[in-house]
Amino acid sequence: MDPKAVVEQLAKLVAPEQINTNEDDLYVASADRYKKYAFARNVLDVPAPVAIVYPKTAEQVSELLKFCNEYDINVIPRAGMTATEGGLENWKDTTLVIDTQKLDQIVKIDTYNSQATVQAGVPLQVLEDELRKLGYTTGHSPQSKPVAKFGGLVATRSIGQFSTLYGGIEDMVVGLECVFPDGTVSRVKNVSRRAGGPDIRHIVIGNEGALCYITEVTVKIFKYYPENNKFYGYLTKDIETGIKILREVMVNGFRPSVARAYSEEDAAQHFYHFYEGKCIVLFMAEGPKGIVEATGVAIEEAVKKFEEGIIKQVDSKLIEDWFNHLNWSQQDIDDEYAEMRTNASHAGYTTEISADWETIPKIYDAVIARVRAEFERADDLTMLGGHSSHSYLNGTNMYFVYNYKINCEPEDELITYHHPIQKIIVEETLKHGGSMCHHHGIGKYRSEWTKDEHGSAYYMLEKLKEAFDPKGIMNHGTIYPVKELNKYIYQQD
Amino acid sequence: MNRALIFIEQNNERLAPELLAVADQIHGPQPFETYAVVINGDVGSLVGQFDTVISVEDEALQAHDQMALADVVAGLHAEHQFDSIVVAATAAGKMLAPRVAMKINCGLVADVTEISRQNDKLRLVRPAYGGRMMAAIEMQGDGPVMLTVRPGVFRGPGEQHHKATQVIEPKGLRYRLGGIRQIKRESKQLSYDIREADVLVSGGGGVARGFELLEPLAKALGGKVAASRAIVDRGLISRSVQVGQSGKTVSPRLYLALGIHGAIQHVVALDEVEYIISVNTNPDAPICSLSDIVVEGDAVIFVEKLLEKIREEQINANN
Amino acid sequence: MKLVCVVKFVPDVDRFEYDHEKHVLIREGSRMMINPDDGCAIGFALEMKKRNPEIFIEVLTMAPASVVPLVEDILRVGVDQGTIISDRSYAGSDSWVTSRILGRYLATTEYDCILTGSQAIDGDTSHVPPQLGEILGLGQISGITKVEEDSFGSESAVVEVDDEEAVTTYELNLPAILSFSRKSKCRLPHVRFKDRKKDVTDRIKVLSNDELGFAKGEVGLKGSLTKVAKAYTRKYESGAQLRVAADDNGVETVLKFLKEKRFL
Repeated sequence: MDPKAVVEQLAKLVAPEQINTNEDDLYVASADRYKKYAFARNVLDVPAPVAIVYPKTAEQVSELLKFCNEYDINVIPRAGMTATEGGLENWKDTTLVIDTQKLDQIVKIDTYNSQATVQAGVPLQVLEDELRKLGYTTGHSPQSKPVAKFGGLVATRSIGQFSTLYGGIEDMVVGLECVFPDGTVSRVKNVSRRAGGPDIRHIVIGNEGALCYITEVTVKIFKYYPENNKFYGYLTKDIETGIKILREVMVNGFRPSVARAYSEEDAAQHFYHFYEGKCIVLFMAEGPKGIVEATGVAIEEAVKKFEEGIIKQVDSKLIEDWFNHLNWSQQDIDDEYAEMRTNASHAGYTTEISADWETIPKIYDAVIARVRAEFERADDLTMLGGHSSHSYLNGTNMYFVYNYKINCEPEDELITYHHPIQKIIVEETLKHGGSMCHHHGIGKYRSEWTKDEHGSAYYMLEKLKEAFDPKGIMNHGTIYPVKELNKYIYQQD
Repeated sequence: MNRALIFIEQNNERLAPELLAVADQIHGPQPFETYAVVINGDVGSLVGQFDTVISVEDEALQAHDQMALADVVAGLHAEHQFDSIVVAATAAGKMLAPRVAMKINCGLVADVTEISRQNDKLRLVRPAYGGRMMAAIEMQGDGPVMLTVRPGVFRGPGEQHHKATQVIEPKGLRYRLGGIRQIKRESKQLSYDIREADVLVSGGGGVARGFELLEPLAKALGGKVAASRAIVDRGLISRSVQVGQSGKTVSPRLYLALGIHGAIQHVVALDEVEYIISVNTNPDAPICSLSDIVVEGDAVIFVEKLLEKIREEQINANN
Repeated sequence: MKLVCVVKFVPDVDRFEYDHEKHVLIREGSRMMINPDDGCAIGFALEMKKRNPEIFIEVLTMAPASVVPLVEDILRVGVDQGTIISDRSYAGSDSWVTSRILGRYLATTEYDCILTGSQAIDGDTSHVPPQLGEILGLGQISGITKVEEDSFGSESAVVEVDDEEAVTTYELNLPAILSFSRKSKCRLPHVRFKDRKKDVTDRIKVLSNDELGFAKGEVGLKGSLTKVAKAYTRKYESGAQLRVAADDNGVETVLKFLKEKRFL
């Protein structure tokens, strides 16, 4: 169907103010933060979608998906727009972006049952602000909190800075509503727990818009005790010491809300005023007083156990001050774009992986060594390091952070810099048995390794696509590898 | 006796004392004669300052035609055999001096900041690599000592008009025309570039309620006003003066950080700043770790007090 | 029409190395890049060639042979010929000697206009372009921020020089030497990903003193009229940090500091 006909047909399904064909908006809708520099320089190589549609109900989403399914129109579900792995990038000529903008209602805040229900377009910050008035919190605080919306958070299996206490979004979602390409609207009910067959929430959580469209979410809410917060920070002689301390606290059964270990290079970016050229490990304990105090004691004991690797303790006020200046906002994003328009530089890229406790330091060392030895543009790197910021009983994550001088045309930036580095990180992680994608999702730019990530379990993943999206209209190229990879990553015609 | 030639650029006659100070450092304490050459310029202001003023009046000699001017200067050198030639490193001077040097086969040292002697040999010190390094240059060959100096680097004793100046008006000078015409000149709107300021009075969120106080302070210090994003986001000043990763990178000698928190995105843009003074209610703000002086307290109140004090002293000095 | 861009490759000054004993720059081995102003000159030439494909662009540089890969990249973005003057005996030449070497080659080649940068970020002297003007008998102007592209022909060029105070427009008879400022919008493009391995070796000409024929004493350190007797990095004194309150005493302390350092 040609673009004009698509828009004409859309007009029969939704009201005119729900259809956006503004050229600038379509340009914005053709990519995400993966191609941020090419975007800022107006040289995106991907097609723009035909239109952006703003449904108001699950029924409208259902009508739209049925229509797209019938006419083979690619659909990109969108909410918040902070994706970093190409999940919102468009690789098809005829594409509709379905945005959650008008699904913006908080349906119910239920403090007695500790849960809140929101439509997919509600910004996390909005719900958080409402909950705080009641003395509650979502416990979810990704750096994108001021911008991100629930549909996107759930679709990408996002995680927040307090995950070590509250868990990732998958631990918070109680139930949800979603729509499939054939028009089926499914509601997964809100219960405290059940053994009713496989937990089908997890087909939806993290589907990245490749299986269905999320319209509503119910999440847990938590009592908020900011007055009890305690902060701890230490300079360590290496990142491994930091990771050992994180492990010690976790395996002893404690759950600080923030538990992080930084490499020297990454510490310099956040704590230049006190890091003294060393690595850093830091904690925040949160929750009821007794738990906070016990957690604090456990942190101090863990630090004591590894004191040979500790250089000194940092004034906790400095950690608290850092914590209060943590999130970025829409203004930060806008500023970065403004910078990219005038300078050949940006705020850098990240790749986040996970593995068990003993493997993480090995992956870290292997990656740093390979980047330094193999990466052709290693000379252009202005920063390469990482931190662990989400810990679990059996392991932790590693957030690789890198920045570089951009000495190439904007169209070639990713294949020249980010992609080769990310490739090394992914290869080393998979080789060591870790996961290549801790919380940003696979998007389109890690789909070339999806089969390696899942191994024999890819069979199950593949069947989900065949079952729920047999015509392949949902977010073409996301999670599941497609041939356009060669064109949009490797510039092969 | 040694002869020093100072090239006086049209409309830059005021630079004569500092250029004379340069000649003095080259030749002193030996006695030497000072010559000025000025082309279509104000001879009157030079009389009394030099032993000899060579005044060339010729409408065909345009200030922007360096080929013609170089021919004139080289011709004068052939006649007078100067021992030193000093040119101000203005945009025009920096195009003129190399031409003259090439014509008279003489080495040239640009942007000299310091003159010293080592084993009786003159050393001309100049910055290289954008100031990252200083190079002490010695002259080889038989030519005169030839150099350019940036205005304001050397200080003269002020204009002194006590010499009995001889004014020469040479005739029949030979020169080529360089085939360059000035078509128009449009003055720019008053604007400034914080990247070029020696002193920056920079404000952050902590001075938002009194940001207008920064301007008089900047003025008193001969500097410019800059800001962190917190101020620019509030619309209190144009983005063009924002210091930081998403703004400009600056290298002033003095950076006065008023109510600036100093996140890494801000301080990465402070490149080789010589001194930082920060005023902040939060003594743990990151900026304080970089500062030579940390003033703990409200920056607005501090600026008010400081300004008052500076004004007081100025009044006292004028009385 | 033929444009010759005379350019310099400079060390990335953020990480240069210097031989403090011999007082010369260690250029071989340290990472080199095109001088930013000079990149603008090539960028302008390429813009003109985009308008008129008949234009032939030659890039000329005096440099050690290690710059060949950098010159190759310049050829890969559309420059027609690269000429590298490279001879061990030229090492250590000052700006006066360098101008004479470049001038001798340029005197034997044809051009309608010579394009250069205004100032190199390593030496910072700005001497070579005017000195080439003197040797070749050409008009020259530094600090160009814009060239009127429509009127740029073999007869004359209209250029703008934008300094802090004013924008001045000049017209120069061609041939002349136009020296660009990095403030100009002209920009040397990077080689596109697909062209990075393109073979351009047949468009590079390397010349040595065998072709230029200077006597030994005329070039290098020996032939130079200036020499670096000593090079040193400036040290910033960093005193102990002073902490004061925002009271009269604090004001006094800051005032004293400002006076001591001559800011007041």
